[in-house]
Amino acid sequence: MAELTTFSFQPGTSLLHKLDVRFKLIFLILISLISLGGGFQGLGILTGLVTALIIHSRLPLKSGFKELRFFLVFLLLILGARMLTTPGAALIEIKSIVITRPGLMSGVLICWRLVIIALSGFLFVFTTPSSEIKAAVEWFLKPAAFIPGKRIAVMMGLIARFVPVILNQAKETAEAQRARCVENRKNPLYRLIRLGIPLIRRLFEQADKLIVAMEARCYSENRTDPALSATRIDWIALLIFILICGWILSN
Amino acid sequence: MYIIEIENLRHRFSDGRLGLDRINLKIRAGAFVVVAGSNGSGKTTLIRHLNGLLLPTDGCVKVAGVSVKKDLLRARRLVGMMFQDADSQIVGETVYEDVAFGPENLRLDHNQIRERVVLALDAVGLKDFAEQRPHLLSGGEKRRLAIAGILAMEPKVIAFDEPFASLDYPGVKQVLKQILCLHQAGHTILVITHDLEKVLAHADRLIIMQKGKIIRDGVPDAIVGDIETFGVRAPCASHLGMEVRSWLN
Repeated sequence: MAELTTFSFQPGTSLLHKLDVRFKLIFLILISLISLGGGFQGLGILTGLVTALIIHSRLPLKSGFKELRFFLVFLLLILGARMLTTPGAALIEIKSIVITRPGLMSGVLICWRLVIIALSGFLFVFTTPSSEIKAAVEWFLKPAAFIPGKRIAVMMGLIARFVPVILNQAKETAEAQRARCVENRKNPLYRLIRLGIPLIRRLFEQADKLIVAMEARCYSENRTDPALSATRIDWIALLIFILICGWILSN
Repeated sequence: MYIIEIENLRHRFSDGRLGLDRINLKIRAGAFVVVAGSNGSGKTTLIRHLNGLLLPTDGCVKVAGVSVKKDLLRARRLVGMMFQDADSQIVGETVYEDVAFGPENLRLDHNQIRERVVLALDAVGLKDFAEQRPHLLSGGEKRRLAIAGILAMEPKVIAFDEPFASLDYPGVKQVLKQILCLHQAGHTILVITHDLEKVLAHADRLIIMQKGKIIRDGVPDAIVGDIETFGVRAPCASHLGMEVRSWLN
């Protein structure tokens, strides 16, 4: 199961591990907003910042590449669609296929933004236990009386707990079927049904077991949440980050 | 003093099947009881009544003198339960977080939670693993983590459902040693198993179940002779007319 979740929380002693989760959530939102509006220069600065944080917190990017392969395919599709559909001066022309310069520029820009946002998200998840994320969401939702913050936080916690279980079950079921030569069946619908039905059944069974185990340990929505406390380092980090954001926006 | 009192317990599942049929059972505080029986004999159904995971169709289950039905939270605090699949019991992202799960549900303050977690991890020898991810632990360590999670709730009774299933020899010894330590510390121990070989030497009472009923109940040596007729394999030593020896010797 562990190998399926390279980008899940890993205990550590980096600055990001030490920062208050609420501040990290604010940083993540700010990085996402600035990435969406930023040009090449701004993205360059953000890339430098994110890269430094990746190195500092030892995010296992190398081993995570395998998990990112579908995301990279998705980026290539976006790049291709932009290059081929954006009007402008032709860069390369092969028969009726025309790749335009503005298309290439906008494609690269969009992919770059998505990469920064995705890596920031991975950094956040890698350095923050889900129980703290849950507590922070609850804290941010507290002022909105009409939103059931506690319940939303509990649901988030359960989803975070269950994602590795789903991945593990999917892997086990797929391996068991490969061992019985399912690959000889070329019809993808047949294979999907054969994988999907037992997988869903087993997931429900697992969910049942998890619920019983949680009930046995007195699970309730009203529980002691992790203590959230902002220190001077959090405020200094926020100040520096706002200054960087201001600088990017002013350029 | 009886820590568990069960009177005329019947349990019928939602599909109409009878899970337990007129169970009467009293267990003294500090006892070490093994409950054995073939698959589907009602062992797991029985222990799930002890902390209200299942409620009786008829009859009454009392823990330390109070009906489980009347105070579920108390029953769950007093009766810790270790399930067969240790993985399904893990809810935390680190060993520390997982052990803290129970005390957090009891709404203890942060200092109390920390104190209980440290004590529980120390008791099962996982203190140095506090920041480790639980899924990276070995089978035996996962079972010990599950025990720590239960200990942090400070229960009086601990029920183990097939605690040795799919463990290698060192894993079995680790878990068995842990169970004996808990018994010596004053906990009432209930071990549910169909494999008596590994634990019977330490039990002071053996209960055999079949088709939802208790059909044998007594000192292990006295009833181990004919248990194979009820689908439970007797330990090798008893076949040879020898005393059943501990796996720890």
